[in-house]
Amino acid sequence: MTTTALKPGRPSAVTARDLARATATRQQRGARFKLWAGAVCTALVVLPVALASLLPLPDPDGQDLSRRRLPPLSADHLLGTDQLGRDLLSRILHGGQVSLTVGVLAVAVSGLIGIVAGSAAGFFGGWADAVVSRFLEAQLALPLLMMLLLVVALFGPSVTVITVVIACAQWPEVARLTRSLVLVEREKPYVAAARVLGLRGRQVLARHVIPNVVRPAGLVVLLLLAQAVLLESALSYLGAGPQRPFATWGRIISDGQAYITTSWWLVTLPGLVIALLVVGVNLIGDGLRDRTRRRKGA
Amino acid sequence: MAAYLARRIGQSLLTVFLTLTTVFLLVRLAPGDPAAAYAPPTASSADLQRIRAQFGLDGPLITQYGIFLRDLFTGDLGTSYSFRAPAFDVVMDRMPYTITLAVSAIAVTTVIAVPLGVWMARRADTKRELGANVLTIAGQSMPDFWTGVMLLTVFAVLVPVLPASGFTSWSGLVLPTVTVAILQLALVSRLVRREMTVALAAPYTTVARSRGVSERALAWRYGLRNSAVPLLTALGTRFAALLNGVVVVEVVFGWPGVGSLVVRALATRDYPLIQATVVVTATLAILVQLIVDLAYPLLDPRVRLGKAA
Repeated sequence: MTTTALKPGRPSAVTARDLARATATRQQRGARFKLWAGAVCTALVVLPVALASLLPLPDPDGQDLSRRRLPPLSADHLLGTDQLGRDLLSRILHGGQVSLTVGVLAVAVSGLIGIVAGSAAGFFGGWADAVVSRFLEAQLALPLLMMLLLVVALFGPSVTVITVVIACAQWPEVARLTRSLVLVEREKPYVAAARVLGLRGRQVLARHVIPNVVRPAGLVVLLLLAQAVLLESALSYLGAGPQRPFATWGRIISDGQAYITTSWWLVTLPGLVIALLVVGVNLIGDGLRDRTRRRKGA
Repeated sequence: MAAYLARRIGQSLLTVFLTLTTVFLLVRLAPGDPAAAYAPPTASSADLQRIRAQFGLDGPLITQYGIFLRDLFTGDLGTSYSFRAPAFDVVMDRMPYTITLAVSAIAVTTVIAVPLGVWMARRADTKRELGANVLTIAGQSMPDFWTGVMLLTVFAVLVPVLPASGFTSWSGLVLPTVTVAILQLALVSRLVRREMTVALAAPYTTVARSRGVSERALAWRYGLRNSAVPLLTALGTRFAALLNGVVVVEVVFGWPGVGSLVVRALATRDYPLIQATVVVTATLAILVQLIVDLAYPLLDPRVRLGKAA
């Protein structure tokens, strides 16, 4: 009879190598990689954009027709200049301020509406649910981008309108998730307990149910931020974004498109910046989602 | 079953009707005069007034709405101002192109994303799976107009192997299809992977494995079959969304579908054309959803239509 020889100092036959190979460890490593990579990509875009006014950059609208379409890495112009001799880096960073502001505000508004409408529908049921559910259905059937273009044509392409329009397009996403979460939460014993203790429905919802669904709903909001940035740039590309003199990412690209064969950087670089930011936000959202899912053991 | 169908169709009609009313009001509240877009620049205000009367735009909004509803129930969606042809016919002329692009994009997405998702589920949580996951997320994160322009530049300008725009031959379908498919890959492959992981961990999989079913058969016959309903739902929703016109991609590639038609109709304030587009696309999208719902019992005998889930 032999027994498995234990290494001195380790009370278990499970080696560090086994632990490193375990599914849980690998999942954790994957989630952590996504979080870190996402944070780095996002920071690479967000920090320069936030500091754009402080950095020693040329004026984003300062034209210099003698220095048109300089390639990247030219003197004074790290990413080159556009068809009117404006500094591309400066335009991308200042354009990013518009895009990010629109994105963050839109997501804040849609998150708020979505959580309120979704939790009301899930918690109270009845006519509240009927009304909200019709809206959620209609949103699936509607030609989204077309409606956005229509509303922008109606109210004019100001930053406020575009923010509201994107928020209107996105709240059903949050509402749908919140509603399904609240439907589950509503049946839990603590809700019955709160009612027995004499709280009204609205109080139970606001004080006890919503705090329990805000975190998972918040994750979706993060993924919506990525979508909002993409939507804003698509609107700008189609000419329905914030108007000149604002440089927006979508319009820098649509303006540069005419020069793509001779000046590749005018389209390629702004697109890469958008992609980098959106990849970053998506990876963070994904990593967080992987982590919560694992914690629940599903 | 019949009651379920009737209720679903009733709901769908209501949705289409509400959508149409919203669009009717929105276009008429929007600034911009269709008469001015239609008339020559030299037209006098009397000319403009005459054109408005001809389009039926001179009455109060409620009268216009009444006429609009009356025409709608007789199947008349009005005459497009800019094409000077029945708006419904103009939209239907473009529809085949949009449907072609939607079908080919969904087909390509399915052919790539489903095997990819199965592969990811079988190699769950390895470095290679993580790499594939990150790559699909990157595809989803690129703005579609940018992907389109880059593909155009590379494959139509620098290495001219494919036509740049329009639909002159079937090869013109390649670039728009790829652009749309890149966006959808992440969504579908992740869905397949998630559903498959659950199915592969289920007790029936363990039983099948203990009876000697091969890993390949486990993945494709047991795992994928049990993931069919959510997969079909996702593909159906994506397909419906694509039918609504891939506006941006159609504009980039000069694709003669509904999406580029809408952009033009909005620019010229072509009210009947905008309304006709919304009716046709919303109806089609809802129809696709309905067909998907009806197909569930075929894929999963446990599903009974009309019963609470």
